[in-house]
Amino acid sequence: MRVKKFASIVLMVGVCVSILAGCGNSSDDSKSSGSSKGGSNEIVFWNPFTGPDGSNIKAMVDEYNKTNPEFKVKNVSMKEGDMYTKIPTVVNSGKNIPDLNIIHAERIKQYKDNDMLQAYDDALTDYPEIKAENYVPESWNIGDLDGSRYSVPLDIHTSGTYYNKELVEKYTPNALDDNIITYDEIKEAGEKAQKDDVSALGVTWMKPILLSLYKQHGGELSSDGIDPTLDNSAMEDSIALWKELYDSGITTKDGEDPYQLFVAGKVMFYPEGIWMRNDVNEAQFDWGLTNAPQISDDLSKAVNWSSSHQFVMFKNENRSDEKTKGIMDFLEWVRTNSLEWAKAGQNPATLDLLNNDEYLEMPQSMFINDPAMQETLTIFDYKYNGYVSEYMDAHALDVIFGKAEVSDFAPSMQKEVADKVAKDNSNK
Amino acid sequence: MSLSQKKKKGNQAQSKVFPWLFIAPHLVIFSIFFLIPVVFGIYISFTDWDLVSSPNFVGLANYQEIFTNQDSIFYTQLRTGLTNTFKFVIFVVPFCIMVPLLIAVALNTKPKLGKFFQSLFYMPSLFAISAVVIIWTLMFNVTYGPVNKLLGTSIPLTSTMPYAWVTLVVVTIWWTIGGNMIIYQAALNGIPQDYYEAADIDGASSLQKFFKITLPSIKGQILYTLVVTTIAQFNVYGQPLMLTGGGPSDGTRVLLMYIQQNAFGSGQSIAGIASAMAIVLGICIMIVSAIQFKFLRTKN
Repeated sequence: MRVKKFASIVLMVGVCVSILAGCGNSSDDSKSSGSSKGGSNEIVFWNPFTGPDGSNIKAMVDEYNKTNPEFKVKNVSMKEGDMYTKIPTVVNSGKNIPDLNIIHAERIKQYKDNDMLQAYDDALTDYPEIKAENYVPESWNIGDLDGSRYSVPLDIHTSGTYYNKELVEKYTPNALDDNIITYDEIKEAGEKAQKDDVSALGVTWMKPILLSLYKQHGGELSSDGIDPTLDNSAMEDSIALWKELYDSGITTKDGEDPYQLFVAGKVMFYPEGIWMRNDVNEAQFDWGLTNAPQISDDLSKAVNWSSSHQFVMFKNENRSDEKTKGIMDFLEWVRTNSLEWAKAGQNPATLDLLNNDEYLEMPQSMFINDPAMQETLTIFDYKYNGYVSEYMDAHALDVIFGKAEVSDFAPSMQKEVADKVAKDNSNK
Repeated sequence: MSLSQKKKKGNQAQSKVFPWLFIAPHLVIFSIFFLIPVVFGIYISFTDWDLVSSPNFVGLANYQEIFTNQDSIFYTQLRTGLTNTFKFVIFVVPFCIMVPLLIAVALNTKPKLGKFFQSLFYMPSLFAISAVVIIWTLMFNVTYGPVNKLLGTSIPLTSTMPYAWVTLVVVTIWWTIGGNMIIYQAALNGIPQDYYEAADIDGASSLQKFFKITLPSIKGQILYTLVVTTIAQFNVYGQPLMLTGGGPSDGTRVLLMYIQQNAFGSGQSIAGIASAMAIVLGICIMIVSAIQFKFLRTKN
């Protein structure tokens, strides 16, 4: 009996110890998820690439590590939502802060105002080629805040329009002679295609489409960088245009899957991001990629919504100068070795690739290979862009599909974003 | 002190320590994953924390905003989210109790292929919600999905009212049948056959046996499943997030979706307000559970 009791006690204590140990932070854990140790010769690199592009970034990191750098890079890919949730926690706690991180360009201001970012200014002095002239301007400029550099761009990804060449040839043969498809041309082609049960335009991810249209209409998200300026005719006109296209029956319908219909040859124009390029390859027809739908066929007025993945270093007092140099070595290597990233369908931000024939043959390179096209790329760098995105993602389709009023869209968005902005106490 | 007194004292000490040892693992887990987060959550609800800077104590300001400031978007969010959450619970819970009960009663008659059907009904409970919603999103696809084909309609069911609610209810029932069904099956197996034999002799009908013997015999399990299911459904999140996206026009947007977006959305975190909303939801769950206990026990 005593033996049984003794065994029970041992088991219970064992269970408790195991649980407590599991909740603790072993040194192995810290190595696997992040690092705050200045002495470690490993650069822990967090990024949100968990889709097919995850294998491309891993291939790049592996390739870099094969060069036997002093500091090897440890690739840690995690879901975007999880990563952005973890960042404030680890930075606040000071433990397991990644040495290097990819974030979206729109988040830089937010993190900088919260005093979370380490500036690159000192680190850049020994790397003269990491400079504005060697990167796409829009992706480079966004990391420059208050005279300091807080990020180095990896890419600039853009939302354009995929099109079915055969259908375009049939219904609007000359529309793409200038490489721009206008809404008027789409409408005209759609009216002809309706009788053949072909939709001229897919209703897809509305945020980049509406933001692009909003700027074409002369709108801006904020005039002072803080308070939103969304309730105006430019926003109403933008959403009203799509509602009108939907009502006239030339777009895909509510509930239809525009991607499946496009690859099935039932949709002429499919507005989507360049990151969808490898998926669109499923289509069994000749397809092309061009600018996002525009109001005007004047390229100087064109707006192509873009975002950018940016390398940042979160503040970490344990990061040694040697490790920072190791990080810079990696960024310099990425600047001249980004073809693998282009294979993921992306446009690397480095202009070094413009000397690479393989890259120039990729369809998405059209946004980069001409300075006039680079001018069309627009990152909406409003500090509270996230609130705008949330509203558009939740409500734009309801308006287009007739479940909410066009006239409510802009004022409601203005109110929601303004109320949320009012709650922010960071450096306004 | 005699040997027997020493032994007695030793046994008393052991009897005091032993229960604690047995509940220790649960206490540790309960404290780490429930007690500490709840206390911290309550504290955060009285601050203007944004997950980054230090939390500033703002007293009842967050509660004042979500309860009384009618001009605030957060006031609207609380009302919309809470209303939709209650709607979901009211629509779903009765089915989540009745459907598994009827299936358990049917399986209790030991039909042919009973084990097969038991596995079939239980299997969805093993799936992650993301897998469940992906399956049903394909089922409800207007162009290629079988549901619209069967019904002969081109209405997008997941984005049109009131069908959006119907799809949420159907998916949730399909997903959750198994857990309650197993509990009811175990309870039904424990009912003595003598009761049914006596009822047969007295000429009772099947319905009379169900209402007079079966239901009263498993009332404890029904109460348990009712409370647990209600609490679980108050925490609904995955189904409306992935199936209806909270639409159309926020018609199925539940409170947890607002809480998640405010605390961990794409913009700067508004964790103070989100925490206050979460506390309100927690209080609602406690009140409803208490009423259920009170009502069912009083009736008993």
